[in-house]
Amino acid sequence: MADVILKGITKSFGDKRAVDAVDLHIHDGEFVVLLGPTGAGKTTTLRLIAGLETPDAGTLHIGGRPMQGLAPASRDVAFVFQQYSLYPHLTVYENLAFPLRSPARRMDAATIDARVRQVAKMVRIDHKLENRSTRLSGGEMQRVAIGRALVRRPSIYLMDEPLSSLDAKLRAELRLELKRIQKELGATLLYVTHDQIEAMTMADRIGILSEGRLVQIGTPREIYTDPANLHVAARLGQPHINILPVGLLPGAEAPAGTAKVGARTEHIAIARQDGGNARVDWIEHLGDQNHLHIKVGEHRLVTLADPDMPVAPGDGISVALRNPLYFGQDGNRLDGRRLA
Amino acid sequence: MNSSHQTFAEKASRLATEAAVRATPEPLAKRVRGFSDRAIAWLFIAPTIALLLAINIFPLFWAIYLSFTNYRANRPNAEVRNIGLSNYSRILNDPDIWASMQTTAHFVFWTILLQTVIGFGLAYLIDRKFRGHAFWTTLILIPMMLSPAVVGNFWRFLYEPQIGLFAYAVSFLTGIPTSDIQMLGSVQLAPWAIVIVDTWMWTPYVMLICLAGLRSIPDYIYEAAEVDRASPWRQFWSITVPMALPFIMLAVLFRGIENFKMFDMVNLLTGGGPGSTTEVASIALKRDAFEAWATGRSSAFAIVLFVAVFGLANIYVKALNRVKQR
Repeated sequence: MADVILKGITKSFGDKRAVDAVDLHIHDGEFVVLLGPTGAGKTTTLRLIAGLETPDAGTLHIGGRPMQGLAPASRDVAFVFQQYSLYPHLTVYENLAFPLRSPARRMDAATIDARVRQVAKMVRIDHKLENRSTRLSGGEMQRVAIGRALVRRPSIYLMDEPLSSLDAKLRAELRLELKRIQKELGATLLYVTHDQIEAMTMADRIGILSEGRLVQIGTPREIYTDPANLHVAARLGQPHINILPVGLLPGAEAPAGTAKVGARTEHIAIARQDGGNARVDWIEHLGDQNHLHIKVGEHRLVTLADPDMPVAPGDGISVALRNPLYFGQDGNRLDGRRLA
Repeated sequence: MNSSHQTFAEKASRLATEAAVRATPEPLAKRVRGFSDRAIAWLFIAPTIALLLAINIFPLFWAIYLSFTNYRANRPNAEVRNIGLSNYSRILNDPDIWASMQTTAHFVFWTILLQTVIGFGLAYLIDRKFRGHAFWTTLILIPMMLSPAVVGNFWRFLYEPQIGLFAYAVSFLTGIPTSDIQMLGSVQLAPWAIVIVDTWMWTPYVMLICLAGLRSIPDYIYEAAEVDRASPWRQFWSITVPMALPFIMLAVLFRGIENFKMFDMVNLLTGGGPGSTTEVASIALKRDAFEAWATGRSSAFAIVLFVAVFGLANIYVKALNRVKQR
C-alpha cells in the first residue's frame, strides 16, 4: 500500500474537458470516495490513475514513483469495473487466480491456492469456486470481480461503481462487507459512485466532482455539515436540501451578500399552528418517518417529520430556520466553516 | 358530480370499444365461406410445402429407392430390378471411390486449415481499427462476392504456364522456368492449385465470421487483463481465442460442409485430372452418374456421402454447442 498523489491532472476528450486540474492526495490505508453525477469525470479519474488513459497534463505518483508513461501492468493497481469484467470461459477459481498467475509475479501454486481460497471466503463465494463464471448471479459475479482485485496486494484498489448494477439489498450487504474487508486489509482504496449513501457510509474522505473539477474534499461529516457551495450541498442529504430566498422564513440573520439560504431538515423548526406562516401541502408516509411537503407562499420545501405529528394536508404550520447555510450570488458558502 | 363522471367514463369506453370493433377486420373465415382459419393457414403455406416436396424431399426418397436398383438413366426402357444392397457393397469395396474420398478429405483439411489461420489472422489485424480499415475490409471481401464459375475461369488463365501471371510471378521470384510450373497439369501441383483458389476465394468469408467474434469481446475484459498484468500473448490465448472460438468453429463448419461437396471449382479447373489426382467425391459421383450412367450405383454413392456429411456435421454441432455453453 502507498500514498497516491495527483497534481493538476487534466484530460480532455475532443472539446470536452473530462478531468480539469485535479489535485488529490490519497493517504496510505485511506478509503476515498469520489462522488458526482454522471459525466463529472469520476471514471476518467480512475482510468487515468490505472493508466488506461493518458493525462494531457499533470503528474501522478504512486508510492513516490512517478507514473508517467507507465503501462497499467507496471503501475501496481487493481481495478474493479462497473460491468462484470470476468473471463467468461474460466471458473470462479481460475478468475480469482488469473492475476496471480502473471509470470511477472513468480508465485508458486501453493501460495496462489491459499490466497484464492482466503479471498473467496472473504467475498463469500468459496462455495462456488468450481462454477463457470457465466453461471453466477449478478451479485456473485460482482463479488468475484471484487475478489479478483483483492487477491492482489496492489498499491491502490480502484473501484468504478462496483455495486451500481446490484439490487438494493445486495448493495447494502456488499457495502458493509467491502468496508470491513478494506479495514481488515488496511487497503488504500479509491471508490467512484453517484450514490450518496455509499459515499457517506464507506468513505474516510469524500471528494465531490463536478464537471471535471474536484470541488471539495473532506470527511463525510465535513462535506455534509460544511459544504463549500450549493453544488456540494445538493449532493448529500435525504430529502434534498431546500434552497430558499433570503427572508422567506424567520429565525435567521443572513450575512451581507446572501443570495440563497440552504435549509436541510435539521435547519428547519416546525410546529403545528393554525394561522402559521405556512401550510402543509402533502405528506409522504415512509413508515419510520414522514416527508412533509410544505408551502410557504409560492415556495415549496420538504422536511422530515415524526410520523406521530398530528398534521394533515391543508393544516396551518409555523416554520422557522435554525442555523441554516448561506450562499452568495456565485453559489459559494458565506458563513465560514463550522468544523475545524 | 361523481355519477356524471362515471357516465362519462362509461360512454367513452363504449365509444372506444365500438371504434375498435369497426377498425378490426372480420376474421377471413367469416368472409370466405366454408373455410376455417386453420384451413386458410394451410392454403397459404401449401405452395411452399409442395415446392419443397417436389424438389427436395421427393428426389431424396427417389434416390434412396434408385440406390437399391440397377436403373440406368440412359436406358429408360430396360427392366428395373431390385438388387438389394449390392450397389452399396460395390461402392464400399471400390478402391477408386475410397481414393476419391481420401482426396476430398485432404482437400477439406488443407482448405480449412489455411482459411482458418489466414482468415483469423486477417480478422485480428482488421480488428485493430487502424486508419482505413473499412476500405481494407471491403477490398478483402471482393473474392467472396464473385461467382465460382468466373473465379474458376480466370484462375485457369492465371495458372497458364505460358501466359499466366501466377506462373510468371513464381518464376520471377524463384527462378524456376515457367514451363515447369504446370499448376493444373502436374500431378504434384494440381491439388494445391485448387486449394490455393478455394483459399483465395473463401478466406474472406472466414475472416468476416471471425471478425464478428472478435468484435463481440468487450474492451473492458482486455482492460481488466491489462491491469491484471496479463501479457499480450496471454491475453490472446486466454481471452481472444476462447471467446472467439465458437465463431471460428462455426466458420469451420460452414466451410467444411461446403468443401465436402465442392464441385464447381474443381470441375472448371481440372475436371478431376490430371488422371484422377483431383477427383474429389463429387467429381467421381458426377462421372459415375453422367458418364458411366450407372444411376442406381451413383444414387447409392450420393446417399453414402449424404449420411457422411450429415453425421459429421451433427457430431461437430454437438461439440460447438458444448464450447458455446461454457
